[in-house]
Amino acid sequence: MMLRMLALGVIGLVYVFLLTPIVLIVLMSLNAGEFLAFPPQGLSFRWYGALFSNEGFIRAMRTSLIVASVATVVSTLIGTAAALYFVRYAGPWRDRLRLLLMMPLMLPEILTAIALLFFLYATGVGTRTMAGLLIGHTLITLPYVFINVSASLYNFDRSIEQAARSLGANPWVCFRRITLPLIKPGLITGALFAFIISFDLFNLSLLLKGVGMTTLPLQLFDYLRWDFDPTAAAVSSVSIVMTLLVVLIIDRTVGLRSLRFG
Amino acid sequence: MSGGRRGIWLIAPALVLIGVFLVLPYLNIVLMSLRPPAVGAPYGPGFTTANFTRIFGDAYFLGVLADTAWLGLKTTLICALLGYPVAFHLARTSSRWKGLLYIFVLSPLLVGVVVRSFGWLILLSGNGVINQWLRGLGLIDMPLTLMNNSFGVTLALVHVFLPFMILPLIGAIQSIDPNLALAARSLGASPVQVFRRVWLPLSWPGIQAGCILVFVLSLSAYVTPVMLGGAQVKTMSVLVVQALIDNFRWPAGAALALVLAATGGLAVWLFVRLSRPMMRGLE
Repeated sequence: MMLRMLALGVIGLVYVFLLTPIVLIVLMSLNAGEFLAFPPQGLSFRWYGALFSNEGFIRAMRTSLIVASVATVVSTLIGTAAALYFVRYAGPWRDRLRLLLMMPLMLPEILTAIALLFFLYATGVGTRTMAGLLIGHTLITLPYVFINVSASLYNFDRSIEQAARSLGANPWVCFRRITLPLIKPGLITGALFAFIISFDLFNLSLLLKGVGMTTLPLQLFDYLRWDFDPTAAAVSSVSIVMTLLVVLIIDRTVGLRSLRFG
Repeated sequence: MSGGRRGIWLIAPALVLIGVFLVLPYLNIVLMSLRPPAVGAPYGPGFTTANFTRIFGDAYFLGVLADTAWLGLKTTLICALLGYPVAFHLARTSSRWKGLLYIFVLSPLLVGVVVRSFGWLILLSGNGVINQWLRGLGLIDMPLTLMNNSFGVTLALVHVFLPFMILPLIGAIQSIDPNLALAARSLGASPVQVFRRVWLPLSWPGIQAGCILVFVLSLSAYVTPVMLGGAQVKTMSVLVVQALIDNFRWPAGAALALVLAATGGLAVWLFVRLSRPMMRGLE
């Protein structure tokens, strides 16, 4: 009994450890005072006002949203197609194929970033445009879509598709009306995850961003070098709340149980 | 279906993406690490092994490499010790809070690494929350140095990577038949013995997967060491980014990155070898 209580105590402390920094940031962002003090000196949204009048942050947020949206759409299309092939047709190379498609997730991000940086210069693409960022983010988010869509394809009764086909549906109608609705949970989870991952990506963006271009995590990192005020907490809170929204959407639409991480 | 040729157009875009933008670039790093440095350009013409001989002949680089490996090892061990009880509880509980607890475990993973490190900055800095409180309680006069040292970096790294330990462990523990533990108990084994002889060996694949993930990830961590280590804690990733961005010396950066990757690979290989007896018992 004593041992059990002790174990539960340790587990509780680990949860506190996991949550404290994140909760603290949100509390700090609502601070009315001048500094990052705890407990906050009164509640106020003034730092959110400071954030939305800071042009650097607004521009960075826009870039992050564009990159994350494009990367999510592209990796969802490519990843879903790949998952369909993997589950249905892969045959003897299935295991090797899975390893290959999961590689962007398993290789250290910073190494992938370096590799891409050199490669983009060697091929003349360079980092003058957003191309490098988009390619990198698509690559990194691909495994999240692939793994989630594959998972929903495994428990899929193919006789429904065969029934539709035998009733005269052409392959495209069959995909749109039968397959797509059935794999929707995996698709939504994968796409939303891809979006969060891309929005938060740092190392890759640090090396691949174009000249004069910056994403929100990069801008926050730069800001924290010189300033240490609640504006940074407000920026962080915006990203935390966005993540929370995504988790809630997943929970409400398809349930968190469908979530896959590897 | 022979050779999986059917539906090949479905997989083609993914293969092109990974082949062109992951496999080729990785091969290209090797080439880059063998280039000579140049002035006014990222690298010069021709090939040389000087970048590698310089790393292995320089006590500074070797010291940083050793520090990085030690940091990774500490982080991995602490993650395993803290993660196991949490994973065990989450895998076996039928509490209705399970979903919420699962989100708590995932939360550090879903919040960006800059934001998480910033949270630790608020907690640990000289006039951060912890020091403010300790001073308010009259326990200390001078602020404690909780960051800009390896303590702060390790703490934040454990926070960042703990989910990567817990998630594989949950999977492994869930697949163990709890009747085995009950049987061992009824045959007179103590709880500690049951843990050592039943749970630990059977959950070893999860421990192994979690340890490899955390170790490899913390070896290549960049943001956390920079934000919480300041100028005091130098890791290999910091040196790599310095060489690439600040000094514009690509071949040197490539060589450093390859040495780091090789160190990680070697450590993983060693770990898998050493834990083979544990895995063999499972077959």
